[in-house]
Order: sequence, then C-alpha cells, then structure tokens
Amino acid sequence: MSSSFAPLGKVEDRRAPIHLLRELTMPIVLVAVIIYLVYGLVTMTVPGNAAFPGPRFFPLIIVIAMTILVILQTITAVRDWRSGDLVELGEDEDQRRQSGLVVEAGTSSRMDVPSLLWIIGSFLAFAVTLEILGWIIAAALLFWGVARGFGSRTPLKDLVIGLTVSSIAYIGFDMLLGLSLPSGILGWGF
Amino acid sequence: MDSLASLIDGFGHVLSIQNLLWVVIGCFLGTAVGVMPGLGSSMAVALLLPVTFALEPTAALIMFSGIYFGGLFGDSTMAILLNTPGQASSIASTFEGYKMAQNGRAPQALATAAIGAFIGGMIASVVVTFLAPWLAEFSSQFGPAEFFALALFAFVATSSVVTDSAIKGLLALVLGLAIAVIGIDGVSGAPRFTLGSPLLFDGISIVTVTVGMLALGEVIYMGVIARKTDEGEMLRPKGRPWLSGKEFREALPAWLRGTAIGLPFGVIPAGGSEIPTFLAYGAEKKLDSRRPDPQFGTGAIRGLAAPEAAGNSTTGMAMGALLALGLPISATAAVILAAFRMFGLQPGPLLFVNRPDLVWALMASFFVAMIVLLAINLPFAMLWAKLLLIPKPYLYAGITMFCGLGIYASSSSIADLIVLLVIGVLAFLMRTFDYPLAPLIIGMVLGPLAEYSLRDAMQSADGDASVLVSSPIAIGLYVVLLLVLGLTIRAKLAGRAGARA
Repeated sequence: MSSSFAPLGKVEDRRAPIHLLRELTMPIVLVAVIIYLVYGLVTMTVPGNAAFPGPRFFPLIIVIAMTILVILQTITAVRDWRSGDLVELGEDEDQRRQSGLVVEAGTSSRMDVPSLLWIIGSFLAFAVTLEILGWIIAAALLFWGVARGFGSRTPLKDLVIGLTVSSIAYIGFDMLLGLSLPSGILGWGF
Repeated sequence: MDSLASLIDGFGHVLSIQNLLWVVIGCFLGTAVGVMPGLGSSMAVALLLPVTFALEPTAALIMFSGIYFGGLFGDSTMAILLNTPGQASSIASTFEGYKMAQNGRAPQALATAAIGAFIGGMIASVVVTFLAPWLAEFSSQFGPAEFFALALFAFVATSSVVTDSAIKGLLALVLGLAIAVIGIDGVSGAPRFTLGSPLLFDGISIVTVTVGMLALGEVIYMGVIARKTDEGEMLRPKGRPWLSGKEFREALPAWLRGTAIGLPFGVIPAGGSEIPTFLAYGAEKKLDSRRPDPQFGTGAIRGLAAPEAAGNSTTGMAMGALLALGLPISATAAVILAAFRMFGLQPGPLLFVNRPDLVWALMASFFVAMIVLLAINLPFAMLWAKLLLIPKPYLYAGITMFCGLGIYASSSSIADLIVLLVIGVLAFLMRTFDYPLAPLIIGMVLGPLAEYSLRDAMQSADGDASVLVSSPIAIGLYVVLLLVLGLTIRAKLAGRAGARA
C-alpha cells in the first residue's frame, strides 16, 4: 500500500518549496474566486432605478474583505514556511493538543492521489451516466469505484453489494417515498 | 401558562400515529449515522435533508428533530468504545469515557452518556418551551438594522471564536457569503455572477452546498488523507447495561452541572457544543481534584456525565434560538434553518404568529424524541455498536451513493450533481488545509439576510450607514457581541487548559 503514497519529502524537510506551494492551494483557489467576482461586478447590468446601496454593494464588500484576508493568509503561510513551522498534511494541530489522542498523523498519512482520482472520477462518471444507465446501475458503479478508492480490492463482491444497496435505495425512495430516480436502460422494458 | 397550553396542543399533533412514526424513524436514522465512525450529527442532518422533501413540512421537521438529537446520542458511542470522537463536541467524552470502557465498564459508560444526553436535552427543552416565545416576542421589535447586527454577530462569533486561525475562519465565511450572492438579486432583479446562464439564476442551492461540504467532502477527506491514521481496537461492551444506585447518585450532580453549563451556549453563536463540553469536563476535573480520592484519569463517571449533558443541553437550546430568532449557532443548526427555508418557512418571531401549530408540534417532538432516544439507546447501545463493524469502503461508498441520491432526487438535475462534486472537492481542500467548514455554511445561510437587511436599512436612510447603530437594541447587540467575544475566548482557553492539564 505504501507505494500508492505520493512521493513527498521527508517530514523533517519542511522548508522544501512543495510545502509552501501546498499551503497556498486555498489562497490560489480564493484568488480565482475573487477574479470571478470582479469580472461579475464589472459586467453586471444594474437596472437604472436601483437605489443606493444597489446589487453591487454587498458583493463589493465581500471582494474587498476576501482580498485583504487572502493577502494576510499568504503572508502568514510564507512566514511559517520560512521558519519551518508549517503543519504537515493531515496533521490536526487542534487534535494533537488534546492529549495523545491522534497518533502522529502527519508522519503516517500522505495525500493518496490514486484514491482521490478514484473517488472523484467515479462520482463524475456517475453524474454523467446517471440518466443513461439509470439509478440502479450507475449507483452500483459509483459504489464500486468509491469502495476501490477506499482500498477495497474485491471488485465482484463490491459490485454485488453496490447493486444490492442501490436496488434497496430505488425501492425505498423511488417506489415507496415517491422521489424520482431515473430508471434508464433498465426501464426500457417497462 | 400560555406556553403550557400551546405545548399540550403540540403534543396532540405529535402524538398522532403518523407523526410519532416520523419521530421514531428520525431517531433511528440519527442514532445510526451518529454511531458510525467519523460521522457526526451534522453529517446525519445534511445527508437526510433532501430525503425529507417528500414529506409535508410538519412531518419533515419533526423527523429532523429526531435526527438532530439522535446524532448526538450516537456520537458518544464511538467516543467511548473507539476513543475516536465523531465530531468536536464528543472529544471531551473520550477522556474518561474510553478509560471507563478500558476498565471493563463500557456498558455503564454508554448508559452514563445516554442518560446524560437525556437529562441535558430534557431540561433544555423545558427551558426552550418557556424562553422561546419570550425571545420571539422580543425579537418582533427587530428591524433591518437589528437583524443585520444579529447576522454580523453570528458571522464574527462562528468564524473567529471557535477556530484556531481567525483568518482562515473569516476566509471560509466570506467564501460562503460569495456563494450566497450568486443568482438573481432579490431587491433589484439584476442577475449576479451567473455568466448569463439560466442554470445559475436561482443561485446555488443550500442543500447542494451542505451535502457537498458536510458529507461528500468528508468522504473524500477520509479516503485520501485520514484513512491512513490507524484507529484503536474497538472495545466490546460486556456486562450489565445499567447503572447501580451508587453510580447513579455519583453521576447525578455532574449531569445537572453539565446541563447548567451547556444551556447559555445554546443562544450564543459560538459554534455549538464544543466549548461547553470542554468547560463541563474542566469543571468536574477541578471538583474531583478536591476530593480525598480523586478519580479522574482512571475512568471517572462524572468526567463523562458532565460533558454529555452539556453537549445536549446546548443543542436543545440551540433549537430555541433557531426557532425564535432564526439564528443558527452551529453548522448543524444552519442546516436545519436551510430545511425550514426549503419549505418556505422563515424561523423567527413571525413563525410563532403564523404557524403556531408547527412550532409547538416541533417543540413537543423534542420531548418525544428524547424519550424515544433514551429507550432505543440505553438498553440497545451494544447493538448500535455493531454498526462500527461495517467495513469502511462500504460505509463511505454507501454515503457517497446517498449524497448523489439526495441531490438528484431534490432537483432532477445533472448540473447539480456536478456542482455537488465541485463543492465536495472544495470542502476536501478546506479540511486538508484546516479551514473550518461551519463559517462557510453559516455565511451561506445567513448571507441573504445580512445583505437585504443591510441594504434595506441603508436605503430607508438614504444611504446613511449610521442608521445601523442608531437603535438601542442594535447597539446592545454590538456590545454583547464584544463581551461574548472576550468571554468565550477566555473560557475556551481555560477549558482547553483544564482538559490538557
């Protein structure tokens, strides 16, 4: 299993650039959000009769606050990185402080990239194929994919359990509770 | 008393066979999700939110109260048997609870937790019954400026008091506010941040955000990061599942003290029951050290009884604050507020006037839920613990399937499933880099209230911002905010220190 861990530096080497880059993931995402908001603010068509404060007022406050906070967070991250204080992935400082509850999570846990791809990929596939394959088949495949992402290596068993669970959900929620789930290709015969 | 008469009316509603059935189903589902490893009551509420749409509002909300309290009862099972808290509010229960289980007193520990949760919840429900109408009466004097102050109160408290890094908490908050402004502006009718796509005219649904944040994001996080952390062996409970008279007398004062500590936190938007559970634990520990035979550290029954009662009394009171003020104090309460909105209901003073039947039926259902929960948890805690044996891949695969089911069933839209995935990934990143999720959800839920009351207040004063601090109630709220900020920060530090020492 350990071969599936992403190859990252040793724990001691907390000043490698990768650590800073990772810590800046959220600020980068947030900068993208800011750009989207600014673009939206500029292109927004405001009805002429809108009194002050209009529809731009509140979003503008959000953009300003977010920009200031992102800058502050980036400065903090860079400073922590320089002094080697960055917290490791999966290391929860808060929990670590509560007695010896969490066993050195940082050293044993790493971002498991194949798992990430399996979980996200299966959900994406589920979303795209749901209306074609129908709930029972698409959900069973989703079940199998996520179970695989969690380290299960018994595809046949997983699929059978997945089919069972998705069928029960179909019966319970579609037939009994009246929620609408697509029947897809299984529904052609009916 | 008015409240009493209304409450009895409420019992009349709840005690119909059908509604009773929904409470019981809610209690079962809530306990089941709460017991499962890593899943707390917020996940229970988020996952089951879309499913309740098929019901009529009263039945759905009654079922919700069962889920809400059930999650809390279930949380402690994990904490006691596995030393792994389902969510932050059950961390304090692990300290003495797990030691009790290690010493072969697991059934008694489970019983202590269940009775503690029952006492805390019951007393809180009684207080809510009498306090909520009064609070609603008081808040009916609120205008836009006061509601803005209230929203700001919730924003600042949830994003900076409970979190380690105030910057990260505030970033999560503004991100939630940003998600909330997408869609058609309710005041001017201008489409905002929609890229011209009609898909976004209604904005991003609160349900999608909650399920993505609290459920799907958690699944990804568990699979990618946390799965590598080994868990302890589960302790199998054996022996009598009840408390002896001596044990009961020992725990009783701790239950009551815990309840008293928890109550006030139910109306303060400081993130729910994490702080009061630590405070209750710390207080018991201090009292214990004065006894001739200190028991803490060896599985003291009081060290488990107090935080359990505190957690549930906060949760019970939180429902009161939610009903009367429309103010959610934690992520879980915010989800319930979202549930009200889905049915076109707005908690707050008007709800007491417009839908008294629903309000009182809901309050009566709290009492019923507590009794049902005690009945299904006290004797059968060991059976519930069997749920811990579900293999993780299947557990999380099932949850993922359920996320998809809920979102698709509530919107019949593939686009919503894609949005759910994007939000799930965002939640995963936030979890990984220690950004708190609760402020985002509170920001998303209360964002529109904050924006419209701000604009309403300023428009009626011709754009003059000083109107926000012109009424005594608004000024009062800001003063209380500052006070609470100071006090909770101090209390939190003291609670943490007490728990660590």
